[in-house]
Amino acid sequence: MSGKQYLKDQLPVILINLLGMLALALFLIASDSPVQTVLFILAVWSIVLVLSLLTFYFSRKKYLNKLLDMTEQLEERYLLPEIMQAPERADEQVFYRIMKMAEKSMLERIGEVQRERREYKEYIEQWIHEVKTPITAMKLLCENNRSPFSREVLAELENINQYTEQALYYARSEHAEKDYSVREVNLSDVVHSAIADNKYLLRQSKMTIKIDDIESRVYTDEKWVRFILNQIIGNAIKYHAEQPVLHFGATKTNDRVVLSVSDNGIGIPKSDLPRIFEKGFTGQNGRTGKNSTGIGLYLCKRLCDKLGMGLSAYSENRGTTISLIFQMNDFIIGVQG
Amino acid sequence: MKRKILIIEDDFTIQTQLKTLLSGNGYEVFAVTDFSQTIEQLKEIAPHLVILDIKLPGNNGFEICSQIRTFSDIPIVFVTSSNTDMDELNSIMLGGDAFITKPYNPAILLAKIAALLKKAHPFPQTETFMWKEAVLHLESSMIEYKGQKAELTKNELKILYYLFKNAGKICSRNDIVDFLWDNQLYVDDNALSVNINRIRDKLAAIGLVDFIKTKHRQGYTL
Repeated sequence: MSGKQYLKDQLPVILINLLGMLALALFLIASDSPVQTVLFILAVWSIVLVLSLLTFYFSRKKYLNKLLDMTEQLEERYLLPEIMQAPERADEQVFYRIMKMAEKSMLERIGEVQRERREYKEYIEQWIHEVKTPITAMKLLCENNRSPFSREVLAELENINQYTEQALYYARSEHAEKDYSVREVNLSDVVHSAIADNKYLLRQSKMTIKIDDIESRVYTDEKWVRFILNQIIGNAIKYHAEQPVLHFGATKTNDRVVLSVSDNGIGIPKSDLPRIFEKGFTGQNGRTGKNSTGIGLYLCKRLCDKLGMGLSAYSENRGTTISLIFQMNDFIIGVQG
Repeated sequence: MKRKILIIEDDFTIQTQLKTLLSGNGYEVFAVTDFSQTIEQLKEIAPHLVILDIKLPGNNGFEICSQIRTFSDIPIVFVTSSNTDMDELNSIMLGGDAFITKPYNPAILLAKIAALLKKAHPFPQTETFMWKEAVLHLESSMIEYKGQKAELTKNELKILYYLFKNAGKICSRNDIVDFLWDNQLYVDDNALSVNINRIRDKLAAIGLVDFIKTKHRQGYTL
């Protein structure tokens, strides 16, 4: 509350007082009071007026600043009426009622939006589960009737499955806290199942796969890591170059295990590298017609953050290396012996 | 004796295709048709293993699983399109032996089934294959012909295993590579040729000449 604005607000009061002073002075002079008495009365009046204005100003300022502070500290500011004291002044009580009403309608709106979002998310999840049934049926049909044609269909089915998984994890990543359980996971098992998920796509692109010794035990959620690896493998296939090679390796240090997935594909331009985990970022490779969405790596990063895993990318001219970093804390090392 | 597998799955295409897949891999396969009589049908068939979907008309998979567990401890493989942690936890808590999410890789499903059956009925299975006096020993990864033996590498053993299993039939190069990939051996087309040539050399050394025949543009056969 600025003093100037306050003064302006109090202008009617001051004017009335000045008017009162003038009238009293005139009356006293007319009734032959000595000038000193008149001046004395006017001085006392002025002092009382100024003092009362000042005390009133400071007490209001203190009260309002407190409210402002409270509001600023609140995360959900519209909830202020819930924690502030009900005011006593008549006009403030009206404002308070208005705030309460605004809060109520805000809460109703939020509730509505939240419900809509939840329902939409549930619908998406349900839809994905439903679409997986025909995908499975098609997969079995193709596997039972092997031909060059069915191989192509199987590769496309793997693509479809990747996209549906992406949508599922996107829908879930908001409330992902509820859907993971950290267990002991054998790194090589996850890598092999991720390769199996992309078998036909990898074979179609004539990818050579090299796997070093990756027999490491890490503590993480298997299906999330599998999803992340699927995205990385998918990128390696999408951005492959001549005679593609995909290389899985693991290094183990005292406090962490690093799984690195390297390809010899077209690589990522240096200028794009810092931004590849941003949502919707497609970069130069995306612009050259590779149909990228900027969602895959963003989701990977997000899931990694939630699982407490590190994710980093390295690319120099040609080829890309994505590293997944699993932390091993003292407790885990102690349990493993 | 053929192992009996009961499929409890309401999607008709998946049901029939699973039947084809499993019977093609040497199992006797049954499927529940009337989902109000699931338990009765199961008792009648007395399968060695059950493949159970979670979403079913009437009682869901979890309920059926706990019902089965009241009278039997046969292996139960849950297959589902939902892969939430809760479902997985539930299936384990109720006594499920495996939890596979759709769309599953048939090779992985078959491997899971084989492993569970082996665990439930641990009597010695045939670990050797024979074809025209040549014997393939899986345990020791050797091939034997008239008393002479040759050692095989992992890749060579798997290739021969596939050829022995499909002995008499023509195995396309693609099918062999697919099989190797399912066994986590990521061999490409060129490497397959190299491996086949090495196997032929080894076979020739123990007197098996022209054992693996090349069918032009089709593949290999024993």
